[in-house]
This record gives sequence, C-alpha cells and structure tokens, in this order.
Amino acid sequence: MNVIRTRALTKRYGKTLALDGLDLEVPGPAVFGYLGPNGAGKTTTIRLLAGLLRATSGHAEVLGLDIGRDRDRAQRRIGYLPGQFTAYPDLTGDQYLRYLAGLRGGVGGKAVAGLAERFDVDLSRRIGGLSHGNRQKIGLIQAFMHEPELLILDEPTIGLDPLMQREFLALVRETRDAGRTVFLSSHILDEVEAVADTVAILRRGHLVVVRPVGELKAQAVRRMELVFAGEPPLAEAEKADGVREATADGSRLHLVVEGSTAELLRVAAPYGIESVVTHEPDLEEIFMTYYEER
Amino acid sequence: MFHNVFLKSLRDQRRALLGWSASLAVLVIVMGAIFPLMRDMADLDKLMASYPEAFKELFNIEAMTTGVGFMNAELFSALLPALFIVLGIGRGARLVAGEEEAGTLETLLVTPLSPVRLLLQQAAVLAVTVIALGAVLFVSMSAASALFDMDIGVAEAATGALSMTLLGIEYGWLALAVGAVTGRRTVAVAVATVMAFAGYVLYVAGEFVDALEPWRPISPFHQALEGGPLGAGLPVSYVWMVIVPVVLLAAALPVFDRRDIATA
Repeated sequence: MNVIRTRALTKRYGKTLALDGLDLEVPGPAVFGYLGPNGAGKTTTIRLLAGLLRATSGHAEVLGLDIGRDRDRAQRRIGYLPGQFTAYPDLTGDQYLRYLAGLRGGVGGKAVAGLAERFDVDLSRRIGGLSHGNRQKIGLIQAFMHEPELLILDEPTIGLDPLMQREFLALVRETRDAGRTVFLSSHILDEVEAVADTVAILRRGHLVVVRPVGELKAQAVRRMELVFAGEPPLAEAEKADGVREATADGSRLHLVVEGSTAELLRVAAPYGIESVVTHEPDLEEIFMTYYEER
Repeated sequence: MFHNVFLKSLRDQRRALLGWSASLAVLVIVMGAIFPLMRDMADLDKLMASYPEAFKELFNIEAMTTGVGFMNAELFSALLPALFIVLGIGRGARLVAGEEEAGTLETLLVTPLSPVRLLLQQAAVLAVTVIALGAVLFVSMSAASALFDMDIGVAEAATGALSMTLLGIEYGWLALAVGAVTGRRTVAVAVATVMAFAGYVLYVAGEFVDALEPWRPISPFHQALEGGPLGAGLPVSYVWMVIVPVVLLAAALPVFDRRDIATA
C-alpha cells in the first residue's frame, strides 16, 4: 500500500503557483527524501500532506485516508516537524512534550525519556533558554514520541550539530526498519543520500524525478582520475563513450564520466594505467544535472 | 498538569489575570473611599442642576449621592466597560491568531485535535478569564459597599458585574472570531476595537441626536448600561449580549476549520 499518494495536487497562493499537479506515490515502509532548492514547493507539499493547507485542486491520501475529508483521523497517525518548529518559550521541554502527549494520546513516558537521552537534551530547562539546536531536538522528540506510522519532517536536521545529525539519521533508519515510513525534505543532499531509499526532486512546483537512490547514483556523473606510466592518451579518452570532459595534467588524466566507465578503461588500458581514483557520485551533481537539463 | 488546550491556555492567563484583578480591586475600593466625600458635599445638587439633561441621563448624575448612582456614574459608564473590553480583545486576539503568528499552532493541529475543538476551547478560556474578573468586580464592589456604607445590594453588585462580564466576552469573542478567520492578531484587535468604539459612539450620540435614538438599542453599551447597570435589574437586553457573540463564534468555526494555517 502507498503511504502517501497524491493526484494532480495543486496549490496556488493568489497568482503564485506553489505546487503544480503533483503526482507522487510513496510506498512504505521507506525513507523518502524530498529534495529541491528553497521555494521549490517542498514545504507547501509537506503542509498539504500534514493537513495544514487546503489543496487548490487535486487530492492527497495519507495512510489511505483522504487528507481533506479525514484530516483528524490521518493526523492522529502522523508525526510532524514543521520547517520552523516553535514551542512555548515559558514551558520546560518536559511540560511541552507532556502537553502534546496529552493532545495525542498513546505516548509512553519511556519513549520520551529514551529520545531525550539519545538526543542529549535536558527536558527540565525552559524552552526559551535552549539553543536553536536543542529546540530542534524538542521538535524531533515530539514528532517521534508517539511512534507514528508516518513521519513528515520538514528540513529536520537544521541546527543540529554533526554528531546529532548522525544520531538522527540512525533513528530514521531504525524507524524504517521497524516498518514505518519517513518522508523528509531537505536541501542538504548528504543526509538524504545517506538515509533515503527513494528520492524525489522538485523544482519550481514540478516534480522533476523520482528514483531509488541507487539508480540515481548508477546513472550519475562521476569524476575520476587515471594515472599513467607515460604520456596520458587524452585524444583517445575524449572519444570514449560516456566521457564528458577530459583534461591532462602531467601523467594524470582528469575525467568526468556519465554512467559506465567500461569503455573508457578499455580504451585507456593499453597505455599502461598505474592507478585509478574514482569519486563516489553525490546527489549534488545529480541534482545539478537535473536542474540544468530541465 | 495541563493535558488539553483549555487547561494550558487557562494556565497562561493566570499572571495577567492576577494583575488585572489586583488593579480592578484597588480601583473599586479607592472609588468607594471617595464616595463619602461626594455624598457629604453640600452644594453638589446645585452644581448638577447646571449640567445638560442628556449628559445627566448618560452618566446617571442625579443619583450621585447614592452608592449605586455614584458607582454607575464613576465606574460603569466608561471606565469599567473599557477595562473589560480591553481584556477581552487582548486575550481574544492572542488565543488563536497570536498562537498562529508565533508558530506554535501548527504542531497542535497535526494531532487528533481539530481546529473546531481548539477554537471552542479557547473561547471557553476567554469566557472563564472574563468571568473571573467579573467575580473580582462583584467581590470588590461588595467590599467597598460594606466599608464605605454605600448601600449597594448583592443583586445590584451581581448584575453590574454580569453586564461588564458580558461586554468583555462579547468583544473578546469578536476578536477571537476575527483572529480565527484571518489568522492575524492586529486585524483581530483592530476590528474589535473599531466595533467597540462604534458601539460606544452610537450609545453616547443616541442620547443627544434624535436621528440616532432608534438605533441605540443595537449598541452593546446600551444593552449593558441602560438604566444602570447597578439597579437596572436583569434587563432582557442582556440576551443579545449572549446571542451575538455565540453567532459570531459559530460563523468563524467553519471558516477556521477549512482555511490554511500560516507558518510563523
């Protein structure tokens, strides 16, 4: 079953088209990365899915429920972190989380304590006195504490230090392994690459591509360096299939290759390759390719 | 602990309510302390006779030498209504629109809690807050009467406090409703304040201008203050002060339920 399914989901603010006919299917359990630059429509999508916005047209189903008609039933089963999470500054973390737990029901005290320990945040302090990163942790705890079937997280790692980002990514993986689904938006590509099974790229309110992370990487453009014993075969390398760019630097050949590198290596092998250095392609480059091409 | 919006919001009112209550009690007691001086002023009647008729009626001035008349003129004609309305509007604008502007609302709503239930709970919080201030008014009026021999009966003090409470809730719910529909605190405050001014102007001008006289009964101030409020009994016009805010709130509910919730 699809955890999230949208059909021609469209949101307009006055004359601005924030989201244009989004067709999205997210099968669960999975970690789904929702990527795009600022203003692409990520937050609009997320707030539509969370039931905070009304679609101008089209519709969205969350956990099999129409978010327009069955909003409160769907919201009961969602964990949500807003892009700009704000809690009451005069409450302690503990008071705030108890309050939300009271509204939601079904929150174990142990779950909250466990998450607080994991994220290393002091719940006895007033939220107004916490650093931005610690406030964000409170936001993460409230999203995860009732163990919802679907987590919708808008830029969840903003403000977290690298150690906590790693902890967060581990939690996301565990959540998926426990059979639940995490839908997270980001413009930080590393974290999505590290955790997501599937990635969607959004641009100016349009869905550009939806692919498994592995597949995106396979068709990706990668940078590599070949070191030769003698003069590097620049002219031959440039002609090989898949090579987009080639420059020589002493005995070194710097290359940008799309897809398979087999043809390049076959052509270059007779010239005596001493070493090969390849750089793992990252989503940044894939991301940029899609931006430039479409 | 607070496990729902009603209890949490009520808790948020405690400090403000304490301040308002203390100030109100001091105001009423100080006014009460002035009363014996007024009553014993020999030439007061002569001075009063020179006032315009409409003015005397508006501020209930002829009865200045009785405790009821004195309180009606000094506190209930303008100052107390203003205080209750300011409290109502300020709190009303904050309870939904204020939360939305602060950014705390959206996390509350992505729960089983529906916007309708949230708005109803906040309306109840506002009503309880204003009623609490009304209770303080009742108690301090009774205390002032006992301390300074003002001869204000329990029923009179009670209807006076009730009329102020109803005014505060009426304009408070108006601000709450406008805030729930627009999501903007300044708009809620502005609309409710303008309506309060309009109501007061109609109430005052109706006394002087014949053309406005027939319209006067639609002013909440007329409904709350005409002939009293101390000593006016329990006028039927109070019913309007219940019906109108309930209708306003009911009209806001479906709009708030269907509209987009803004980000901070």
